[in-house]
Amino acid sequence: MKATPEHLLDELVDRWAQGAPLDVDELLVRAGPRSDELASLIDAFLQRAPRREPTREALAFVRSLDEPSLLVARQERRLKLDDLVAGLVERLRLPAGASKKVRRYYQQLELGQLDPAGVAASVWIALADLLGRDAKGLAAVPLPAPAAAPMFRVADANTSLFDMVSLSAAAERFEGAESRAPEEPDEVDRLFGVDPSD
Amino acid sequence: MRDARDAEDNRLLESGEIDLLLAGWTETIVARCVSKMRGPVGHDVAQVVCLRLWRELKDGKHRDGRWPFRVIVHKVIGFICAGWYEKGWSELELIEIDGPTADDFTGDVELQLTLEEFVASLPPGDGEVAQLWLLEGLEYDQIGARLDKKPNALYQARSRINQRLREWLES
Repeated sequence: MKATPEHLLDELVDRWAQGAPLDVDELLVRAGPRSDELASLIDAFLQRAPRREPTREALAFVRSLDEPSLLVARQERRLKLDDLVAGLVERLRLPAGASKKVRRYYQQLELGQLDPAGVAASVWIALADLLGRDAKGLAAVPLPAPAAAPMFRVADANTSLFDMVSLSAAAERFEGAESRAPEEPDEVDRLFGVDPSD
Repeated sequence: MRDARDAEDNRLLESGEIDLLLAGWTETIVARCVSKMRGPVGHDVAQVVCLRLWRELKDGKHRDGRWPFRVIVHKVIGFICAGWYEKGWSELELIEIDGPTADDFTGDVELQLTLEEFVASLPPGDGEVAQLWLLEGLEYDQIGARLDKKPNALYQARSRINQRLREWLES
């Protein structure tokens, strides 16, 4: 049974008042077909509520914005994430259906969550072409992403938003898409040096 | 109406503690972007909002105190969320916040509406509960003990406050 937007808003306000993680993603999922209604209420509340005290993780995240990174390089090229992913899929001659996984792995790479050492040379060449610079050098300086920043949590209290594995997993659950348990590495796994069984 | 955090934001701006300032807003930014974008893409949008604000703060913008920083934050969120799926749109082409048209800057950002104002609008008994709950972050038991209210009376007060809060948010 889905909770009503009214109850879920109350839950959010409680979390907010007590300094707990807000987990808006999780609340929207729980709202089911009334998620739009809940989203509007949450948005109105947050627009009127004062900010909270900064966390250590949030401070680390903000300071990381100064680091040279794939993210900054992408921004400088005015490339949205989806545009870059489309470019990667095209240059790596992957099927269109691979976009979701490429997006997830690229985000992990961009956020310092994926070991650049395992990424195939062809990916770096494609990235250099898209970003107009040596992308591997940028990825070698990982963002000091917060380990468990409350504001980045998705649904699991032990993960962070910048753990894009969790984010993507949440997205896939939300959309009911993709396989539930990949076993054998495919071409995208190989290109990004990921063992899906890990 | 400026809320109590506006003064603290101005202090951080004036003292150059812009990392602390933006860090204090990141949770609001992420939560609003997720709610506006209706899902996980909101995290991508939030990242761009943070980067945009960080660059502007590093460039020394917004230090004149003309607008509370929260207004700037909410305006940037609104702008980037609105443009995210528009073809050819770039988040770098932001409105000139400190420019000559800044008088119209607030736009859809409801400068006057703050949670403090909402709490102040409540009748005295419920207002006390809301003050402790919403603005001071006390838990249910603590509020009951502080105000010497029985659980049932506190429950009823919370129900009334929740109802008023929803009406206020929808107004």
